[in-house]
Amino acid sequence: MKALGEFAVGDTFRAVREVDPFRPVYYAAASGDFNPIHIDPNVAAAAGFRGVILQGMCTYSWAAEVCVAYLGDPARLRRLKVRFSKPVQAGDTVTFEGRCVAKEGTTLRLELTARNQAGDEVLKGVVAEALVREA
Amino acid sequence: MPVDRAHLHRRYGPYVYGVGREDLRNFSAAVGGGIPGRAFASSAPEHVHPYAWDEDVARAGPHGGLVATPGFATVFAIEPFAAAVIDPALGLDLVRLLHGEQELEWLEPVRPGDRLTTTGEVTRIDERGNLDVVEVTTLTVNQHGRTVVRGIWTAVIRR
Repeated sequence: MKALGEFAVGDTFRAVREVDPFRPVYYAAASGDFNPIHIDPNVAAAAGFRGVILQGMCTYSWAAEVCVAYLGDPARLRRLKVRFSKPVQAGDTVTFEGRCVAKEGTTLRLELTARNQAGDEVLKGVVAEALVREA
Repeated sequence: MPVDRAHLHRRYGPYVYGVGREDLRNFSAAVGGGIPGRAFASSAPEHVHPYAWDEDVARAGPHGGLVATPGFATVFAIEPFAAAVIDPALGLDLVRLLHGEQELEWLEPVRPGDRLTTTGEVTRIDERGNLDVVEVTTLTVNQHGRTVVRGIWTAVIRR
């Protein structure tokens, strides 16, 4: 597993996630969030969307996974804060880009952006904190 | 209609959640780009850490077994927020409600077999322009009495 000394301010990391048509259904099955706006295209259309929208907490979890992939251990992620700024829809591609902005002892501070294929931010103000204990 | 500030500090819970191995793995599959369940289950999901999916890899890792991926906290810690959103006393308009902000703090790994107890409290009722803001703060404790997750869940209601 990646050691504390291998993390540095200025590190960057990134992931691209495709929202396949059934992702909201898979996420509903695993999370219990069956709000019809995520499942039923007719309900989503009535709410003004071109198709079902992904659960915000799935996008949130994706942001967490992007951090975990950089950190090398799910338990190292200690805090993640986001503002939901635009719905993510089936068919969208979300690009996450992260950067380590501070390293204070065993604590890392990370900042992320999340944009759809049009370049619109789907999350804003994304900040994370990680704790990397010495082995 | 603005939300009545008399409901500030209104409490929800406790809610108890028993964590199963397959709950953790299904969540990892759904978030990691795979398919949850056993019938059409995918091969290893590409975008999730193996400590939250592959029992053999996890056993040899620093936690000695599977741990939840961070997002799994949304499965159990959401209950007080979900209860507040549909609470007739608060009377939030679900058609106009959006999940505005989310913050989670993880203090202790979640493992299969854990018994998690979550409570929540309305910690903010505000108006921001033509929006009502309702914030619920949650606390989840495991069977050892250790705090596992703290959460701040913010709903925004368009007037």
